[in-house]
Amino acid sequence: MKRIYAIEKWCIDCKRCEVACKAFHSKSKDPVRAYKYEDNVPQPRIHVEGDLDLSVAINCRHCEKPLCVEGCISGALKKDPETGMVYCDQNLCVGCRTCVSMCPFGAVQVVEVNGITKAYKCDLCSDGTGEPGCPSCVAACPNGALVYVESEEGF
Amino acid sequence: MAKATDFLIIGNSAAGITAAETIRMLNADASITMIANEPYPAYGTPLISYLIEGKTTEEKVFSYKDAEFYTRNNICTCFDYGYEAVKLDAQAQTVTCANGEVFSYGDVLVATGSVPFVPPTKGIENRANVVPFITYDQAKQAWDMAVAATEKAHAEGRESNLVVIGAGLIGLKAAESLSHHVDNVRVLELAPRILPAVLDDEGAAVLQAQLQELGIVCTPGITADELCGEGDTVTSLKLTDGTEIPADLVIAAVGVRPNSGLAVEAGAEQGRGLICDEHMLTSLPHVYAAGDVTQVHNTLDGSDRPLALWPNAIRQGRIAGMAMAGKPFVTFPGNFAVNAVDFFHISLLTAGVINPPEGEGYEVDILTEGDTYAKFVTKDGVLMGYILLNRPEGAGIYTAMIEQKVPLTSVSPDVFESAPENLSFGEDARWARLHKGYPFDMDRYGRKERA
Repeated sequence: MKRIYAIEKWCIDCKRCEVACKAFHSKSKDPVRAYKYEDNVPQPRIHVEGDLDLSVAINCRHCEKPLCVEGCISGALKKDPETGMVYCDQNLCVGCRTCVSMCPFGAVQVVEVNGITKAYKCDLCSDGTGEPGCPSCVAACPNGALVYVESEEGF
Repeated sequence: MAKATDFLIIGNSAAGITAAETIRMLNADASITMIANEPYPAYGTPLISYLIEGKTTEEKVFSYKDAEFYTRNNICTCFDYGYEAVKLDAQAQTVTCANGEVFSYGDVLVATGSVPFVPPTKGIENRANVVPFITYDQAKQAWDMAVAATEKAHAEGRESNLVVIGAGLIGLKAAESLSHHVDNVRVLELAPRILPAVLDDEGAAVLQAQLQELGIVCTPGITADELCGEGDTVTSLKLTDGTEIPADLVIAAVGVRPNSGLAVEAGAEQGRGLICDEHMLTSLPHVYAAGDVTQVHNTLDGSDRPLALWPNAIRQGRIAGMAMAGKPFVTFPGNFAVNAVDFFHISLLTAGVINPPEGEGYEVDILTEGDTYAKFVTKDGVLMGYILLNRPEGAGIYTAMIEQKVPLTSVSPDVFESAPENLSFGEDARWARLHKGYPFDMDRYGRKERA
């Protein structure tokens, strides 16, 4: 499958990936509206760790054997058997945070939005079908600090 | 006449369903039959409290797998109360159900989970308003009874009272969820702290105070001495401190034990749960076991005891399924506990060794700030366990550090101070962690390396 990889040598902590992610996952797809006005506050599924000296963008690794899926008590987290994408059906999620305790990368966040607590994670900008889209974070990165490439098998 | 099946799976929860799915993945043709004593598709048992709270619905609870799961995987399903397996004959390779039906198998998986342990408290037996809190039916019953008890109490001009016996994870989730439907909630606990298995004294005291503010009154160190009341109805409890408290509904949640009777009566070896080899085979030929019913080797402290946790059941179910399908690629090395639980807005994540024994070289680091309580247990330079109360961020990074025995000298010295990061690891370790499957022909600058 194609995976997003962070190239920390080029990362300048600009957080454009977070903005693009949040915008894509908003109703309006518009950053200003997404950040300032939308009721249904979209959460970034990618976050930049560090500062200008050293930073790296972290999002879901879409693991071969995802521990978040293994631990999920509601069946919300799934790995698509065809595409390999790990995604969260928020309709089923109850916000128990088992995934947070299992993910080795801190790539699943459980956040309360308008009183409802759910898991948020990278869905490769999918339309919700388990079919990857065109990752907005990669497109928005000005430096090539995120690449979206075919990964080697068996990892 | 026995119904013949290549693979018989007893139990339709995490371990059973994962084993069935795994077998089908590895063997397209074999016949797979699942039997279970509940008339429902697989569901996450921990969801019952979320259902009562309105955080999920009946339809969603039963959507753990999609609606076509069983037919798509060509699994013959016998899910009803009558399909309680009552006799296993390992010689004849048959299983008899309560309804008289007999199944003959090639391999069988015992994934019967755990059953509530009922304490020998005076007056607890044969009571209509004393219910356990493990299955969907029990939760529905408790919910209906809580609503009815409150209606009745209010009609009588008084408040309704729920008493939960046992302040473990199940007891406290029952208390939290049912608190929305009763006036007063009291949680009794024999041990000197709440959540005795997953917290330490200090953390338990912090959580207890937070629960108290939300109307859940826990009294560790005090439990029920006698359940009193006429006929089949409990109306009050005499407690070990000599007081007596009123009760409209009692949840019995002192603990669970492996539901291993079926296999043990058939001759399977049992310790504190069914004893299995690294492929989840019991001491009986062709009889496998997985999930809560088994005894699990704790990879951290070396103990052997049941580990009644969802992810462990999934993992064991997969390994059992592979072995049953004749493709034992993966072995089970043991496991350790990772618990995630939330009460109202409170989150609690714990893992590994929580209460280390004295004098065995463990070190403890405790950080408290505001409503958070964090504890880290280390030994020989590696993380062995944690408590994270109201500090869930990045917890899985700590879990991975425990699992992989990451030397603490290789991570930032401040890794426990606040949420752990991938940047807490050294450059090479970090690259390896985050770049599994990274193209062989690309360098760390994201450029194609020239041949």
